[in-house]
Amino acid sequence: MNAEQENMTESTQPSGAPAAREGEWVGFSLSRVWAIAETTFTEAVRQKVYNILIVFALIVIASASFFSQFGTEEQLKFMKDFCLGAVSVFGTMIAIIGTALLLPSEVENRTIYTILSKPVRRFEFLLGKYMGSVLLIFVSLLLMSIMFGAALAFKEQRMVSALHQQSSGVPLTEEQKQEVHATVRQIRAEAFDPDLVKAALLILVKLALLAAITLLVSTFSTSMIFNVIVAVMVLIAGHLVGSAREMWGDSAVVRWLLAIVPDLGSFNVADDIVLGNPISWVHVAKVVVYGLGYLACVVAAAHFIFSDREI
Amino acid sequence: MTRRRILAVAVLVVPAWLMMPLENSIHSENLQLRYGGAKVTSELRDQIGQGMAIALLAGFRGVVADFLWIQSHDYWAKKEWMRQYSYMKMVTMLQPQSTMFWDIGAWHMAWNIGYAVSVDPQNRTQAEGIKREREWWDRARDYLQQGIENVPNRPDLYFAMGWLYWEKYKDGSKAQEYFHKAVAAKEQPQNLSVRMDGVQRLEARAMEKSGDVKGAYQCWKQMWLQDHQKTEQIWTVVEREVKRLEDELRIPENQRVFPNPRSEPASPP
Amino acid sequence: MDAIRTERLTKKYALDWRRGKLLALDRLNLRVAEGEVYGLLGPNGSGKSTTLKLILDLVTPTDGAAWIFDIPCRKVASRLHVGFLPENPYFYRYLTGAETLQFYGRLCGLGGAALKKRIDELIELVGLTRARDRRLAGYSKGMLQRIGLAQALIHDPKLLLLDEPTAGVDPIGSKDIRDLILQLKKMGKTVLLSSHLLAQVQDVCDRIGVLNLGKLILEGSVDRLISDQRRLNITVQDLPESGRGKVEEAVRAAGGKLVSVEHPQTTLEALFLEALSKDERGAGEHD
Repeated sequence: MNAEQENMTESTQPSGAPAAREGEWVGFSLSRVWAIAETTFTEAVRQKVYNILIVFALIVIASASFFSQFGTEEQLKFMKDFCLGAVSVFGTMIAIIGTALLLPSEVENRTIYTILSKPVRRFEFLLGKYMGSVLLIFVSLLLMSIMFGAALAFKEQRMVSALHQQSSGVPLTEEQKQEVHATVRQIRAEAFDPDLVKAALLILVKLALLAAITLLVSTFSTSMIFNVIVAVMVLIAGHLVGSAREMWGDSAVVRWLLAIVPDLGSFNVADDIVLGNPISWVHVAKVVVYGLGYLACVVAAAHFIFSDREI
Repeated sequence: MTRRRILAVAVLVVPAWLMMPLENSIHSENLQLRYGGAKVTSELRDQIGQGMAIALLAGFRGVVADFLWIQSHDYWAKKEWMRQYSYMKMVTMLQPQSTMFWDIGAWHMAWNIGYAVSVDPQNRTQAEGIKREREWWDRARDYLQQGIENVPNRPDLYFAMGWLYWEKYKDGSKAQEYFHKAVAAKEQPQNLSVRMDGVQRLEARAMEKSGDVKGAYQCWKQMWLQDHQKTEQIWTVVEREVKRLEDELRIPENQRVFPNPRSEPASPP
Repeated sequence: MDAIRTERLTKKYALDWRRGKLLALDRLNLRVAEGEVYGLLGPNGSGKSTTLKLILDLVTPTDGAAWIFDIPCRKVASRLHVGFLPENPYFYRYLTGAETLQFYGRLCGLGGAALKKRIDELIELVGLTRARDRRLAGYSKGMLQRIGLAQALIHDPKLLLLDEPTAGVDPIGSKDIRDLILQLKKMGKTVLLSSHLLAQVQDVCDRIGVLNLGKLILEGSVDRLISDQRRLNITVQDLPESGRGKVEEAVRAAGGKLVSVEHPQTTLEALFLEALSKDERGAGEHD
């Protein structure tokens, strides 16, 4: 090494480190959680998770361009249905696959040793990893929503200007002008439906819940494939809860068993939003609370299992 | 099992049970809101194929319906009318709350298919062509009727039915009846307000066409008396019609909205 | 106060139901005094890694307990005073050297300008100044080892646990690490290291303990353990052949016994290092 060694020998006292007494307490630190969340997020991004969004962008563009032989109302419905569906599908992939690897890769690469050997609580580590995943999901949804919104705006513009072009060549009566005006109004309302936000919000909560479930599974299994498969099974089960209730809901035993599985179908308001069915903010709030409640329980369960785990 | 594992299981199960009332509340709200209670029957599932059935399970009803609708459009291009018809019926079975599918479906039947079969060279006589066209109008009417039963609170389908009677059946009084229902529908979305103004005018015209000139006059008069600030009605047209009918019906001067052709009209509210 | 103290520290791993339990560590009583360099030796599977993991609360003891500076190891606070360099350390490959230290510093509750200053000091100390902004994916094994040491020191702990610190490192890097350990000792830090490479352990450690199958079978100060008190090495220079016989005679007359006469040897390591330092072109890929 180098000649600075001489300088270093001056300090015989340990410097800077907090002096500890027996009763010293290391409290829960949000900044530690955030440090871990940030690195988790950065790792996923630098591993080019976002390349998947290129495929999403292609779907958005395709849905906006391929159906010109249909009417404006139909085209907008197709766009909204397909894009929201794609948001859900790609979001689910990012949520499950992105989370399935978090803990196993830390354990396999033994990066977890250097982290847990610091004054870090296990819960801070778990929460930090989870928050990193949620951040990844949130940013993905944001990007997808922006692409989707931009496409809708672009489409709306094209349709309105096409409409004006059609009617520009001929002189119009008052009534015909009103008809054009009415159609433009309708296109605008369908393209810029503010309720689309509700659909996106519920998708976010559902994905956060799926990520939490994947995290829970990964606390006791180090195989990424296993984690993904179990998470997908829970996803399927969650969607079947609705129909299972209808078919076998008479038996109390069945109802109590079904209650354990979160009803994932209730997060899917995309169809209704696209149809223009009124979904009140009260209802949305209920579903959000439901989702967050489940989420908290799943994270708590993950904490109980992980805190005991031998590394 | 260690204590922590037992805790983990407990925290997954007990709060889930505690949330049952919330889940039930959400579920019952969903039943009211969504799909109009339309269940996916096994026949429907067989018809649409496995891939789509799985998509349905995942909650992508809208996407499946759209796919089927696009396919029905293919059959339209191939002139396979009955195929198109059966696909359109599948679509509305999946999303009975979509006014768009009922509306455009009926339009396809009455206007497109109806016209196509009336000029089909395979018709032996012109009368046969007309008869086939009428069959498709009837199908459109029944289709819209079903739609109205599924979506009774919106104006869209009443207007579509009225338009069917107006343009195809040339039945002014039925048309007027449905235009009126459209205007009186419980839900009046803001984006349809301009169109509904037009429907009001249509209603009045349909009344006049069916012979009820007095009723038509009342209609136009009611329109004029609306708050001019609150709607975007074409007041020039309304004014013209009110004046014309007041002359035609020889309404006494003191009861007219526009008492004297040379003087100012009674100021609108 | 001891830096490390364990009492009846025991760890049993449950294997599958046929083979029962594996006793990895059997009632270990270990004391490492503050300021000493302790070497934990033993063959594979002897319990060295298990001991380190128990001290760091990465695994839970089946019985017994451990303390770091009298703080129970099961408490998070104990880790305020210990830095750990694992075997074959691995970090987030996409972070640079400085970013890695930044991350670990934040985990220890450090931040701001103080953390930046500390990072600069440590990078200087471990000799990675030129590579500080390179992603870890591009680091050699020796460099990873050094950044590992830096992260272990980020919060200036009084105790360091090093698991195989020189495994897989070339002789120059190995010497650097050993020099660093001695320097840390001069700073008053305590070091517990576990290693296979006995010759290197001999140079740095004050005391050693040998584990086998979970039990401490030998412990003591290095000097006393490895020196043979009965014998004496006397090195002479420029002694002619004729003088040899006279020396033998003198020894016998004094009551001793001449055991061996041979030319003293330097070590291969010293030869290697000297040759490299004499080569004007420098010692290759070492920054």
